[in-house]
Amino acid sequence: MAAGLFLLPTLLVFGVFAWWPIARSVQLSLQFTNLVDPAVWVGLDNYANLFADPLLWTTVRNTVWFVVLALLFGYPLPLVMAVVISEVRRLGGLFRVLVYLPVVIPPVVAVLMWKWFYDTEFGLFNQVLTAVGLGPMPWLQSTATAMPSLVLEATWAHAGSTVLIYLAALSSVQTELYEAAEIDGASIWRRLWHVTLPQLRAVLLIMLLLQIIGTFQVFTEPFVLTDGGPEDSTLTILLLIYRYAFINGDFGMATALSVLLAAALALLSAVYLRLTRTWSTT
Amino acid sequence: MRGQRSNLLACGVVAALVLPAAACAGQTTSDDDGKVKITVAGLFPTTQEKNRQAFLNEVKAFEKANPTVDITPTESKWEAKTFAARLAGGQLETVFLVPLTEPQGLIKRRQIAEITEEMKRLPHVADFDQRALAPATGQDGKVYGLPTSMFALGLIYNRDLFTKAGLDPDSPPKTWEEVRTAAKAISDRTGLPGFAQPTTNNTGGWTLSAITYTYGGRIEKEQDGSFVPAFTEGPTQRALEWLAAMRWQDKSMGTQHLRNAGDLQQDFAAGKIGMMVATPSTYGDHVTKFNGDPKLFGVAALPSAGTLATLTGGSMAVVNPKASAAQREAAVKWIDHYYLRPRYDTTVAAQRAQADASDKVPVGMPRVPFYSAAVSGPIQEVERKNANVPLDNFKPYEQGVAAQQFMTEPPVAAQDLYAALDTALQAVLTRAGADIAAELRKAEEKVQPALERAQQ
Repeated sequence: MAAGLFLLPTLLVFGVFAWWPIARSVQLSLQFTNLVDPAVWVGLDNYANLFADPLLWTTVRNTVWFVVLALLFGYPLPLVMAVVISEVRRLGGLFRVLVYLPVVIPPVVAVLMWKWFYDTEFGLFNQVLTAVGLGPMPWLQSTATAMPSLVLEATWAHAGSTVLIYLAALSSVQTELYEAAEIDGASIWRRLWHVTLPQLRAVLLIMLLLQIIGTFQVFTEPFVLTDGGPEDSTLTILLLIYRYAFINGDFGMATALSVLLAAALALLSAVYLRLTRTWSTT
Repeated sequence: MRGQRSNLLACGVVAALVLPAAACAGQTTSDDDGKVKITVAGLFPTTQEKNRQAFLNEVKAFEKANPTVDITPTESKWEAKTFAARLAGGQLETVFLVPLTEPQGLIKRRQIAEITEEMKRLPHVADFDQRALAPATGQDGKVYGLPTSMFALGLIYNRDLFTKAGLDPDSPPKTWEEVRTAAKAISDRTGLPGFAQPTTNNTGGWTLSAITYTYGGRIEKEQDGSFVPAFTEGPTQRALEWLAAMRWQDKSMGTQHLRNAGDLQQDFAAGKIGMMVATPSTYGDHVTKFNGDPKLFGVAALPSAGTLATLTGGSMAVVNPKASAAQREAAVKWIDHYYLRPRYDTTVAAQRAQADASDKVPVGMPRVPFYSAAVSGPIQEVERKNANVPLDNFKPYEQGVAAQQFMTEPPVAAQDLYAALDTALQAVLTRAGADIAAELRKAEEKVQPALERAQQ
């Protein structure tokens, strides 16, 4: 009884701000509404319309491509940075601040700053590249380089938080293990491979899952930098949801796609957790 | 990466939270005093003190003349992202302003009220220029909104760069071929893009549709009782070929092409663009928002490739669909009092022009008249007397626009059409040798399901 009472405020907050909206989203995905007249049940029509839209598969491909690139570059980089910073004997605090600084900048401000960096005519990157004889690069202006450019900005903007988490995890690794490895003559790489990574395994696995979920929801970068272009090459699932809801006023299709994305991520998470259950504990 | 979160989810949660309230969140009709209560958007911010005070004075004057109406003004502006949540939550004003690109979609979704009967009781209703009413006239012939400002797209050009390129700024291009020649001259002499075309946020498709009209084409047509894309028929392809020639043969458009109309305005004010397609009203942002030099701002009528046509931009006042009959009546009266009266009453026009001028808001820009020449002529004279814009810079526009046919937004799924054309434009301007016909076919395939959905 007492436990139930203590839980009640949390249940209320989650109920009102999380579970009920989720249930309403599922309901909306089965309705047509103009937000004025009573909503009309349309069965699976919104889902059928969604699968008839050729842009759906474009956005799925683009989002998966973003996730893959973000994992390739954005996943190992914070770990490397955390290990390097933890090894630095002096100015470690300064490096921590420098790494975390991009996270403090408001996301839209940071993205707009990168918009200027990427400008092909007056941008910082091409001015530097041209000065050393390597430029100019098309950056956001080409279907080949637009998505990697978004990943570069996203990695810069979000790596700081992950680095801090890894640093905290690194500080919990028992120093005796490193001392024993050193006495056994292990090099820095062998210490990293045989001591650091196994000790961080649980954190690494959960960070990977969070990153997959987070990157599947990429929105700000393509919204501000490219509007999904060029030629839909950076049109992501969330940007398509935005267009359905706020450009076309079609909340049925927007929530249908939101529900599908949530279901796909939930399934992916369940499979991932099942596959990695033993890895994280042994 | 871990921190990736979307504002969209928050928007979704907000929308989901407010939606159930929609059924019971109609407009408050009257209080204990029996007055009809309406809220009206459009109150000027405190940075425009004279206009703000004038607006509040007009509210008082209206309430005095209509003692049964109680008005609450707000500063809110049209925002696509918040419109749905505000409508569903009962927070949307009784009278609100929307860009000219929006009414057809709002009519289709029944998200604005029909006001035909209320409009018929307004003064000078017989003198309305139908071109001004067209953007908010439904396919059923009924009226769903009234104009508050309207401008026809033209060619905005940098007079200073024209001079530097050896061109005559008083004789701007009248055809797209002349634009191409001028763009090359500007680019060759100054190294800056001679012509710039937006390609994102649907603004590329919007301006490309205007160019298509001047080639004698359409981007949407009615066929067997339903609307289908028409941009694969030739004129749009010729317009894109013209752009491709400037981009890849002449190299007169620069290399930065993933931009919207707002980005171009900013670069134009900074003197980095020779020419672009926009409305003369961009002069306002040019001088007030981007601190551009008024002298370099030149405007000509939209050039042509055989057909004298243009597309209109601006805003319309529309009424909340949840408004009661009494509120609709009061709302339309307010629209007439504040937005239409200065277009037919010379005394009010003079007062408004003087308030604008003292707030340094541009006065004297050529606008699309709402009424016939007999009514609009004296108003234009009043505005000219109080003008604070370089009138000579607008002459080429005024001389050309009079003969042009004003086109309206495509009636079905306009934003989807513009988005599809954005993509085709991006292909043409960012990829050398792009197959234009194939890109237009791809755009057609992409937009077809959206048109079908919109007509179900």
